[in-house]
Amino acid sequence: MNALNRPLSVIVLVAALFSLPVAAQQALDRAKIPPPGKATELRVPTWTKTTLSSGAELIVSEKHDLPLVSFSLIVLGGSDQFEPANRRGLASLTASMMSEGTKTRDGEALSNALQLLGTSVNAGIGGDSGAMGFVSTTGKFAQTLDLLADMLVNSTFPAPALDRLRAQRLVALNAARAQPGAIARRVFPKVLFGTAHPFGQLTTEETLAAITRDDVVAFQKAYFQPGRAVVIVSGDVTPATAKATVEKALAGWPAGGGKPDFSYPALPAKAPTTIYLVDKPGAAQSTFAIGNPGPPRNTPDYYALEVMNTLLGGMFQSRLNANIREEKGLSYGVSSSFAFGKGPGAFRAGGDIISAKSDVALVEFMKELRGVGGSRPVTDEELATSKSSLVQSLPGVFGSVSSIGAAIGRLKTQGQPDDYYQQYGKSINAVTKADLVRVAKQYIDVDHLSIVIVGDRATIEAPLKATGIAPIVVLDIEGNRK
Amino acid sequence: MPTPCRKFAWIALVALSCVAAAQRPPSVAPPGSDTIRIPFESYTLPNGLTVILSTDRTTPTVAVNLWYHVGSKNELPGRTGFAHLFEHIMFTGSGHVPYGLHDRLTEGIGGSNNGTTSNDRTTYFEIVPSNYLESALWIEADRMGFLLDTLDLAKLNAQRDIVKNERRQGVDNQPYGKVTEILARATYPADNPYSWDVIGSMEDLSAASADDVKTFFRTYYATNNVFLAIVGDFDSAQVKAWVTKYFGDIPRGKPVVRPTVSTVTLPGERRFSYEDRVQVSRLYIQWPTVGEKSDDHYALDTLGSILAGPRTARLTKALVYDQQAAASVSAFQGTNEDVGEFMVTITPRPGHTLTGLEAVADGIIERLKAEGPTAEEIQKATAGQELTFVRGLESNLGKAMGLSDSAGLHGDPGHYKIDLQKSMAVTAADVKRVANTYLTKGRIVLSVVPAGKPDEASKPAESTKVTGAEDTPRPEVKR
Repeated sequence: MNALNRPLSVIVLVAALFSLPVAAQQALDRAKIPPPGKATELRVPTWTKTTLSSGAELIVSEKHDLPLVSFSLIVLGGSDQFEPANRRGLASLTASMMSEGTKTRDGEALSNALQLLGTSVNAGIGGDSGAMGFVSTTGKFAQTLDLLADMLVNSTFPAPALDRLRAQRLVALNAARAQPGAIARRVFPKVLFGTAHPFGQLTTEETLAAITRDDVVAFQKAYFQPGRAVVIVSGDVTPATAKATVEKALAGWPAGGGKPDFSYPALPAKAPTTIYLVDKPGAAQSTFAIGNPGPPRNTPDYYALEVMNTLLGGMFQSRLNANIREEKGLSYGVSSSFAFGKGPGAFRAGGDIISAKSDVALVEFMKELRGVGGSRPVTDEELATSKSSLVQSLPGVFGSVSSIGAAIGRLKTQGQPDDYYQQYGKSINAVTKADLVRVAKQYIDVDHLSIVIVGDRATIEAPLKATGIAPIVVLDIEGNRK
Repeated sequence: MPTPCRKFAWIALVALSCVAAAQRPPSVAPPGSDTIRIPFESYTLPNGLTVILSTDRTTPTVAVNLWYHVGSKNELPGRTGFAHLFEHIMFTGSGHVPYGLHDRLTEGIGGSNNGTTSNDRTTYFEIVPSNYLESALWIEADRMGFLLDTLDLAKLNAQRDIVKNERRQGVDNQPYGKVTEILARATYPADNPYSWDVIGSMEDLSAASADDVKTFFRTYYATNNVFLAIVGDFDSAQVKAWVTKYFGDIPRGKPVVRPTVSTVTLPGERRFSYEDRVQVSRLYIQWPTVGEKSDDHYALDTLGSILAGPRTARLTKALVYDQQAAASVSAFQGTNEDVGEFMVTITPRPGHTLTGLEAVADGIIERLKAEGPTAEEIQKATAGQELTFVRGLESNLGKAMGLSDSAGLHGDPGHYKIDLQKSMAVTAADVKRVANTYLTKGRIVLSVVPAGKPDEASKPAESTKVTGAEDTPRPEVKR
């Protein structure tokens, strides 16, 4: 590719090319779809695995085309395993508190050091896994890792910082009460799972107020342990130098910790399909969230569910969006998904619907949810497109050091084998039409759905009732019955 | 300022690009560096279409980006929102490509597509497995050459409804959603095409006709107003042949007449308060600054990160950390082609007033204007630019957008390097100068307060109440 380095000579060459006759153009039949070239090849990155002296697993994947390194320290288990019900929000506050100072650097010193390295260390804890990490240039990798290690091992958790972070979270919580999407994101899981299940427990003013500095210190110590951690380094490093650098930086991290228990409490008893209406006076749109608890990621039906959801609501031309947005013009976009994880993550279909047509949209949502369960047969083209959409997106996943690190990390948090990506195409392509109908019926229970609608009650309640689809229960914006 | 686009957050990458792509190419590579760069070649077809090619074989995928030099600033009064509505129509099929096939030949084979509209330009992209590059070029050429063959009123009406829903979702039904259009109206006089927001008004969207679509297409969607960037895993000679085959015989159009945009200087402070369906008050301060054509935007970018962001930034440190009077603060320069704005946003903690926060923020800004930033502040503000640039090299789409932004706005796909050099060269004296030049009394101060609580505004007695862009008084024209 020497020519690319010499744009001037290229321009001359190209000019010469365009002076050639254009006979080919006159024969161009624009109605003919250009056929694809030879199928592209899936190139999954390779990686090495070893164990650090702390007991954490270390995975290294090399990519040397750019001077970049991605580092992530992944912890198996998350807020749903480690956070008490009356302390929801503790995991998130703890992750933030790790930027507030160490034994030798206060919060400003940490911030200054990271800014001068041109990067930032991010820490976050989700429902069933958490992570600390960064991307740096190759030359800044060791120095940035030293700062991350300092935050991991030597944080001092100053009490005034906790009060400040808590106050900021309270403002955000209050501000979100004006945002229809945010209201739906809180009410929907609460309705589906109930407050006895971690998926239905919310961070509130009360849980935030209850969190003490002692809670933060104890949580950090109990949670961030190498026995349940996987360290992934991807990019411009070798396995040997990566291991030496990581061992040195994390030398002060005491061994301990085991794999968490991922059992979840029983789900609440099923209730007949119900509309839960949250009043948002004057709202221009109604925010819909329709669904039920779903299967965990390790269900044997995973691949069939992926294909089924892709044709139902995973793509732009999926049934839901093709109907409700493109054909009926009721929304800017609707979609559906399964929240696959360790526990029974929700199936959810929804989107924002023009208020005056909320009833029409509900009828169409229900029609499509029943349709994929058998009343509207899957066509050969739908099946083929959904499969190829999933399988052929895989080669593009491994483009950046952080996406490679994330792809390896997902295998760990989801408990998948090392050859998962190599086997993915075969697994998806084995799905049949009969599988799709079966999993749709089994996992989208149209007789026991929760239909959460955040919108202008005065406009939408009577028309929704008139559809006869389900009784209406009015909730407040916290998801409590009025 | 979010950029309307065809789809909402279908994948994270797309969502990111809708929001971020409009204003700047990915910033910068270290000056003099030979390995950290985007290798490209560029040429122009006889019909005026500019082509930019850059190979990257990291993954077997290709990004195609078409950059049309038309945006909301080319709209006529009474037709605000039209450039974006037109973008939607570009996805409804064309002469030889029936509706739906575009999606099947992108997301249906593991790729994606989307369009974005800003004040200045409209972009369309595909990301496809590399063996589907030819069909992606065929689709783009067909809508560039033959969109009107299949246009009818039904298509226009369908997209009009969808775009109105996009406005409801992004503006009317969002807390603080109308701030962008209120600020635009308050800052720019009526004859300035930056005085309305890209999404447009419901009334104007209703008024758009099929004839408007035809005229707009013929005026702005001609080959001589387009930049085509192709980045990824392809054979250069093969791609050049395809580009000639599909785009070569599309006729050029008349030279495009660009709007004349006068520099805006506000003679004094303009204060407004807006009662919105929000729970928490928020203060917005906006100064008109400069666009892409003035180098001052580099120092204004640096000023933004010295004022807010990291905990050591001046406003953040004082308001959020030391005084604990604010829950959050932001400050940044937004750069469009002809104009720019510097905006500070402050969200208070309970017990603290917007009036008080404005006074404290003003004091900090005045001190920076008097003293200038420290050498370490400059160093911290620029230290992250190399990493940001190198990470940008990991995305084919990011590179395609950066190359076409550079070509479209500056006439040189390689302008991103100049951007880097100028950005890295910003000095403390530059920052002090631009702070004094632009952060003056000529500014907009907008308080957004919960309905029924007008007294929560900053200096409520001196602030004019508005209910949206429609009744926001325009600035007096100073020529």
